[in-house]
Amino acid sequence: MIDGWYWKFIGVGLIIYSMIVGMLVPLKPSIELVAPSAAKTGQQINLEVTGYNTNYSGSASIRAWLKDEEGNAVLSKNVTVINAQNLVANFDIPGFLPSSDRVVPFTLILDHPVDGAMVSPDAVFITQDSISKVEGQTLWQKDIINDLTLNTAFTFPSMSLIRETIRNTFYHVPLWFAMVIIFGAAVYWSIKYLRNPQSYQYDNRAVGFTSVGILFGILGTVTGALWARFVWGSYWSWDIKQIVTAVALLIYMAYFILRNAIEDDDRKGRVAAVYNIFAFVALIPLIFVVPRMMDSLHPGNGGNPGLGANDLDNSMRMIFYPAIIGWIIIGLWLANVRYRLLDIKYNLMNK
Amino acid sequence: MLKEIKALIQKDLLLDWRQRFSLASVILYLACTIFIVVIATQSNNPGLWNAVFWIVVLFVSSNAVAKSFIQESDRQRIYYYTLANPIAVLTSKYIYNTLILFVLSMIAFGLLTFFTINPVRLNGLFFLTLFLGATGFSIVFTFTSSIASAASNRNTLLAILSFPLLLPMLFTLLKLSQQSLGLITDTSYETDILILVAIDLLLVGVSFLLFPYLWKD
Repeated sequence: MIDGWYWKFIGVGLIIYSMIVGMLVPLKPSIELVAPSAAKTGQQINLEVTGYNTNYSGSASIRAWLKDEEGNAVLSKNVTVINAQNLVANFDIPGFLPSSDRVVPFTLILDHPVDGAMVSPDAVFITQDSISKVEGQTLWQKDIINDLTLNTAFTFPSMSLIRETIRNTFYHVPLWFAMVIIFGAAVYWSIKYLRNPQSYQYDNRAVGFTSVGILFGILGTVTGALWARFVWGSYWSWDIKQIVTAVALLIYMAYFILRNAIEDDDRKGRVAAVYNIFAFVALIPLIFVVPRMMDSLHPGNGGNPGLGANDLDNSMRMIFYPAIIGWIIIGLWLANVRYRLLDIKYNLMNK
Repeated sequence: MLKEIKALIQKDLLLDWRQRFSLASVILYLACTIFIVVIATQSNNPGLWNAVFWIVVLFVSSNAVAKSFIQESDRQRIYYYTLANPIAVLTSKYIYNTLILFVLSMIAFGLLTFFTINPVRLNGLFFLTLFLGATGFSIVFTFTSSIASAASNRNTLLAILSFPLLLPMLFTLLKLSQQSLGLITDTSYETDILILVAIDLLLVGVSFLLFPYLWKD
């Protein structure tokens, strides 16, 4: 199919690149924890901020703001750095809030001259006793958050709960992509075989691709389960995507059982090819429609699955896409070895 | 083509009428299953009712459809294909099995309601779900039984080939059925109905394309 050997090096190179760079690049400095998380109007509060991957002690001029959804903000009086990960931001909360709600969530924004701006959404919930939106709007100001520093270092996004496990994006997700494409390739060779029932090689290719697809499905499930152990709390949570993978594996294992249940070689190849195509078509709604109908625990789900702007930023794309291509090439190579072996077996048997 | 389909359905009806005991055995199987399940669960919980109902319908459907291709001999089949267009044979089986499965799921509903409760709030939606379920089950079971008929130990094979394929359909059916039982409120259940119809059409289309490769030997 593909001649030569250079593409194998490309595949291995991409995988090694994704593993090394994916592991070594640090996470973007961010806010891990803010305490206390509740306050009242008119109070003076000391917000203790715990950072992740931060270097607070490296700078003297850190600024902090509290901001509501509409952009009304207040600047902190002073920021005291304790060490690289901890600082205390001192705020005078005004007597009124710029809202007619009793409790309003405020977002904490920190600006560090080197690390860049960090945001902790809904960090503090402020309760007001007497409500006056008009007075609140004079006490809180718009457009005072300015001169934010942009961190231009090559980093991965740091998301609460997920944190370092975001690196699993480079191993787990590409395996899943590669699996769908490899099962697609199996369908392609199944169709080719149905059109030319004499060429046993096509049938062997369908078998090779299907077995590699199952391998990738198992690897994808395992890498996902390990990740889920840390983020969701258990290896298996009956998440819709976990169910989908399990069903896909069941379907393709049934493919091999079907093959073994038919004795006649000609008939085996033809019936297996028919089942392979039919199964893939029945899987399409399962892979692409059902996960969109149900809530999933997966990042980016609960409305829009796939690769949202929050899941992937440009730094991650630079590792994610090569990893996908790399795994697809590795899959082609594995299938290639598998079906060449099957061809040799066939030739030996029929001599 | 239409004439052929009509004649083939009549043939199936006539065959089943002459061998009434074979269909009666499926109904008896259904009654026994429901009886055991009701004794085992002893509950009037609508959520459980829903689960039990669909599990019973799924297994009974697999047994009822297994008759269509699996119990015919290879020679008998070849004879049909020489008499009629193979696609017409397949279509007639789809239609006939849909009818049989719909009737069977109605009987299952009647028996389960008789023994336990009737939790159905939206009757129209529930029977539409039953019909959609019968259609989908009929398509998947009929086609996989024609695949399984090529192999040995056909009945086990039918189950492992078709149950995973039915899951996407079953998800949607369970959701619609929960909706009609008032267990969940979902304003967009029309989309679910459309998805079921789309899955059915997709599978029918693919099976028409693939069927000629299955029966030619």
